[in-house]
Amino acid sequence: MLVDVPYIPATALEVEAQRAFEPARTSPAFARRLAALALRGGALAVFLGVLIVFSVTAPFFLTVGNIGNVLGQSAISGVLAIGLTIVIIAGGSNVVTGGIDLSLAANMGLSAAVYASLAQAGHGDGVAVLGALVTGLAIGAVNAAAITLAGIVPLLATLAVMNVVAGLELVLTQNTVVPASSEFLSALSAGGPLGIPVLAYILLGFTLVVAAIVQYTPLGLRLYAVGAFPDAARAAGLPVRSFVAGSFLASGLCGGLAGILSVSYLSGSTTGAGDMLLPVVVTALLGTVFSRRLVPTITGTLLSALFVGFLVNGFQLLNISSTLVSGVQGLLILLVVSATTLLGRKENA
Amino acid sequence: MAESGEAIIRLENIVKRFGGAQALSGASLAVARGSIHGLVGQNGAGKSTLIKLIAGLHRADGGAVEIDGKSYDRLTPHLAEELGIHFIHQDRLLVPTFTVGEALFLGREPRIPGTPFLDRAAMRRRSAEILERYFGVSLPHSALIAELSAAEKQIVQITRALIADPKVLVFDEPTAALVRREADLLFQLIRRLSAEGVTILYISHYLGEIVDLCDTVTVLRNGRDVATLPVAETSAAKIGALMVNRDIGELYPKSDVTPGEVILQVDDLVLAGRYEAVSFSLRRGEVLGLTGLVGSGAKEVVRTLFGLDRPTGGTVSVKGETVFSADPAAATERRLALVPEDRRSDGVALDLSVTENTTLASLGRFSHGLINRGAERRQTEDLVQRLQIKTDGVDALVKTLSGGNQQKVAIAKWLSRQSEIYLLDEPTVGVDIAAKVEIYRLIGELAERGAGVLVLSSDIEELLGVTDRLLVLFRGRVTRQFISSETSPDQVLADVTGAYETLLHAG
Repeated sequence: MLVDVPYIPATALEVEAQRAFEPARTSPAFARRLAALALRGGALAVFLGVLIVFSVTAPFFLTVGNIGNVLGQSAISGVLAIGLTIVIIAGGSNVVTGGIDLSLAANMGLSAAVYASLAQAGHGDGVAVLGALVTGLAIGAVNAAAITLAGIVPLLATLAVMNVVAGLELVLTQNTVVPASSEFLSALSAGGPLGIPVLAYILLGFTLVVAAIVQYTPLGLRLYAVGAFPDAARAAGLPVRSFVAGSFLASGLCGGLAGILSVSYLSGSTTGAGDMLLPVVVTALLGTVFSRRLVPTITGTLLSALFVGFLVNGFQLLNISSTLVSGVQGLLILLVVSATTLLGRKENA
Repeated sequence: MAESGEAIIRLENIVKRFGGAQALSGASLAVARGSIHGLVGQNGAGKSTLIKLIAGLHRADGGAVEIDGKSYDRLTPHLAEELGIHFIHQDRLLVPTFTVGEALFLGREPRIPGTPFLDRAAMRRRSAEILERYFGVSLPHSALIAELSAAEKQIVQITRALIADPKVLVFDEPTAALVRREADLLFQLIRRLSAEGVTILYISHYLGEIVDLCDTVTVLRNGRDVATLPVAETSAAKIGALMVNRDIGELYPKSDVTPGEVILQVDDLVLAGRYEAVSFSLRRGEVLGLTGLVGSGAKEVVRTLFGLDRPTGGTVSVKGETVFSADPAAATERRLALVPEDRRSDGVALDLSVTENTTLASLGRFSHGLINRGAERRQTEDLVQRLQIKTDGVDALVKTLSGGNQQKVAIAKWLSRQSEIYLLDEPTVGVDIAAKVEIYRLIGELAERGAGVLVLSSDIEELLGVTDRLLVLFRGRVTRQFISSETSPDQVLADVTGAYETLLHAG
């Protein structure tokens, strides 16, 4: 109200009150619902369309073996994308000021290097696993401190940490491949029941556990509240900063786990972990369109990890240059982010 | 302060500052257990700050807070909730992507017995029950908060507080988004809760509601409490009088200037859909007030005069010359100056220095290819002294200044431009009372120096204090003209809110 009203006669007030409120049912809400529905439907249609095109053009595409293959190949990026999803849920999905963890791929690289170095130094798998997980957690803690204590936006804080971590990896490995092999590692990279790789089962199991926590417990619900509307979370008595810090710890841990998986997949630690960043960001952002409310979800992220995996796999089967894949992934980010941002803007209007 | 012995909430001499502005300067409040206590005051009187303090969202800079006889240094939202104090905030604090059930139970979610998992079925069932019991409404259980109407969100917010079985419920302008029927339901509910022993603190602009509903009322003015009265012994009119500052004389130093020639003449100005047939004239040395509700067209008239909107009809003439252009550059050329409402984003450049801001609109005078820094500084130093701008020096960044001083820099910019017609849009919003007086004095000085000043404000008291004449816009038309010195705020208010007109139209 523009006018600061010291006193209004009651009659005028009532008229004011009645005039100010138009019929309650608003059509913008309906339009938004429709647009959200179209986006979700469109995403699923594209997913199915891609599957159909590839299965028609590439002979082995829709075999159990190939699907298992894709799942196994997506395990590392899938675990990382789940970590990123947790950060996005707790930080909000604003692309600039919201939650993002750019250090995840580098985290995986360093954790893998730590694992491989420890293994090479003669330590057992238990120590190496612990080393990788602690490395990941420590990186997460640095991110959490920079963001919640120093108040740096996640985009910048994790960008800086990414570079520090990548540098540490170079120092540790002297930019070389550190081979590692053990029974534990070969068991991870072996084929499992139904000829599907063990890594695929690990991805499914991990998704199940995290999804149970994030989608089905009070903790998860509060995580969403903190990210979507911090003021409301605060008013509900939730410690907002602890939740945000916790999300970075969780994603750091995901980085450590992904490091272990990558050591087993590649039989050692290799350079170039940073290349993983783009597919991970695509996967986490794309996951949003697979949920009813257009929010990031763990199951949505699994679906989009599979989508990205199938896309890469299909390109390989059709002998299309893999250099195109990055371009397609970049395009996907643009599409998804602009679609969800436009929807969000409509909601606020 | 009756019944102070059994006060459940007691605030003593609370002081709270935001940057340079003092929101509360020694406010006290004692709410008796089981009562319905009203809290009233004009915008900026400190109501919302006081409430956020009790909610633990702000921390007081001074004073004592006592809840249930125990004093607390620092309240947190969690602690307030534990003490049984719950809030219905003015802005609805609900997560837009949540369902009604999730929003209601956030923070105290029911679990499936024996597991760590959410019991969504129970959330759905219980939320439907509670909504039905208290409000007699049912909301689709799959609907998200973002899809609800304002009133429905309000209902969810209130229900959220009720679930917690509160001892004290604080309502901050609860009816602002409700239609009559919903408001009536709310009042019934409040009376029922009060009968059950819940203490209610009720904040509202609407004095009619306060008189109907409350037992006791506390009036806030300029950050302090001016009276606490039993409602039975007072009336809406008396409360209204307490809210308005009566010693207008000291606040508005007004100099006598004899108006000169007409400097701005507006005839039948029309902007389709916004306002129509607006005519007035502004003389040298005159201060003309303009007021109206949001959507009355008052703001748009000012925008049009400065060339930000193109009128669809009518004429504007400056010093007898007709102007047609919709172009702010041409407007400044004609010595028009606009001091916009949102000074932090539109009025001044926060990251530039006082000097740079002051000469921003008149750089032509200080440059011949290169800027003459010396002349720029001299001009700024002169203006800083004349306007008594409190700054660490002319090189200080404007963002380091208080709100009132930023506003003076915005005005200095146009003085440097040697403007003659000043359009001031809400010039004193968000500045403290001392700076307000200085801005009023400045307006008087502008008039004295032969400028024409148009002040758009929603603070009617202020307008009557600083202006010579006052125009009221209502639904896009000038409905009334007042001679400021012969008018009382109540008279203007009746026209601003269209008290009589709407009754006719609404029929």
